[in-house]
Amino acid sequence: MTETNTNHTFNGISRRAFLAMTGGALALASFPALALSDAWRRVDEINAVVGDADPIAQGVNIELPLVTENGANVPLKVGIGRPMAEGEHVTAIHIYAPRNPFPEIATFRFVDGFDVPEIETRIRLNESQTVFVVAELNSGAVLMGERDVRVTVSGCLTQADTYAADSLFETRVRVAESVANGTPLEVLTLINHPQETGLREDAQGNPVPKRLIERLEARYNGEVAFVAEFNRSISSNPYLRFFITPEESGALDLVWTEDTGASAQFNADITVG
Amino acid sequence: MAPDQIVAWAGLVIGLAFGVCGQITGFCLKRGLAGWWVEGEGTKIRALGLALAVALVGAQALDAAGLVALRTSLYMQPEISVLTLAAGGVLFGYGMVMANGCGARALVLLGSGNLRSFVVLVCLGIAGAATLTGLVAPLRTAMQSVATLPAPVSPASLPAWLATAGLDGTVARWLVVALMSGGLMAFAFLHAPFRKDAKAMASGFIVGLLVVMGWYATGVLGADDFDPAALESLTFIAPVANTINFLMLATGFRLSFGVAVVIGVFLGALGSALVTRTGKLEGFTRPGSMLRYMGGGTLMGLGGAMALGCNIGQGLTGLSTLALGSFIASGGILLGAWFALRGPGRLPAPRP
Repeated sequence: MTETNTNHTFNGISRRAFLAMTGGALALASFPALALSDAWRRVDEINAVVGDADPIAQGVNIELPLVTENGANVPLKVGIGRPMAEGEHVTAIHIYAPRNPFPEIATFRFVDGFDVPEIETRIRLNESQTVFVVAELNSGAVLMGERDVRVTVSGCLTQADTYAADSLFETRVRVAESVANGTPLEVLTLINHPQETGLREDAQGNPVPKRLIERLEARYNGEVAFVAEFNRSISSNPYLRFFITPEESGALDLVWTEDTGASAQFNADITVG
Repeated sequence: MAPDQIVAWAGLVIGLAFGVCGQITGFCLKRGLAGWWVEGEGTKIRALGLALAVALVGAQALDAAGLVALRTSLYMQPEISVLTLAAGGVLFGYGMVMANGCGARALVLLGSGNLRSFVVLVCLGIAGAATLTGLVAPLRTAMQSVATLPAPVSPASLPAWLATAGLDGTVARWLVVALMSGGLMAFAFLHAPFRKDAKAMASGFIVGLLVVMGWYATGVLGADDFDPAALESLTFIAPVANTINFLMLATGFRLSFGVAVVIGVFLGALGSALVTRTGKLEGFTRPGSMLRYMGGGTLMGLGGAMALGCNIGQGLTGLSTLALGSFIASGGILLGAWFALRGPGRLPAPRP
């Protein structure tokens, strides 16, 4: 990690880039529906969310590498690209890695129907396994997708034993200062944090206490616009890219909360034109 | 352009320069050592000494200026696996003499039409990948856990270690750099034939500079707030393995710095051989020597993966960080090469 102190970098995404992005999402969405394996039924955490619904194996686009050398930091991108009925939208995306010690990786909650249901983050995978993504719609329907990932022995041998404590809670955010009305606003966020699982031992064999960023909340003009709930399997220095769709100029507040109650904040003024 | 693309392009350019330089000048540790220890020809080894001096000064200057943080590189692990570093270095050094040149040299020779090097590179890459992530990886990790010492100091570098003895950090750094670089420069330039050999001098200077450019490319050009590139520079074991992987799985891979360097070295040497009309197709004439080269490539892959780098990766790039582990690995490589050139395991000169 380079030592930059850029807490506030601003960089817009052009309309063309956005159209290209959504076009890509549509292209993926047109893939035929694939049958789901029944493996998810053995995961209690997924059953709890799915409930009595019959999950639809369509519209969940998952980007994960097929093979990864570094299970501590696996890039993951999830988008929901299914044609929706009038008024139907995604309310939450859940991500699970059943063969991790704690299968729940994260939950992302979308507050209003205009938000682009797409997120990008980095996750930890303990071993080769199938990652499941469950999307809840406000109509009660549940979408599900799965992807196999092979995790090899780490070839890079880097042991993340040491963590620079001096830059803890330092945040980096990239968001456009102004955006056209009705256009989604891309927000890139990162917070320096070890995201300690509580399952690790230090060099002397003592357990390293659990210490997690548990929540990232985006508020727009004081109202909650997007919520991310992180668990142990989010990589250190939690990274998240998400979208909100502001309808008027206002203030964007981001609040990260640690399980100890400590928190970090970022504020930016957004002009909607 | 996104930082990862810039880093890949920079890697390609650095590789091209290395390939052209190596093809024209014959920069090679094995030839240098054989010349120095066996044949009484001392300019090639001095080119390597000059390269290390330049790389060391440049890398430490980049670090002191705050442009790159060498302590985040692979070479400064918080724990030093003495056994794998030393044993891996010895295996690599011995394999290098068996195969008549290291991995980087094999890439350059392949560009000049030497098909023996193709066999060496395939064996090196597959053995390297097997040791890093494949069949032999569990053995490597087991060996690592047998003899691992916590580094005496963090970061695990020579200046930081001296600093624990009461020396100021900056003073310690530049004292070590001055002594090492000064010594190497004296070793090189006090030798009259080296001063007259423009090719050897140029090769040392350029290769040293390319190591520094590698640090700059990944550390400065690759800096990104959200997705920084891993800090690395020239090395030829994991990248050769990754290049073979990349050929097979390119749709699921991001072109990395190391793979771009490997492709660049081959293309640079090929271009140089074509332009200067020095290329020549060569192969094996005896199956026995093919077996020897295959064994050499395999030992280099195995040993280089265990030691976290080859003669370039640890011997130039690693030492330029002054990491403690790199001294162990480089010592191992020299020992392995000595064993095969002059020691009890002496090998006859290769007859392809």
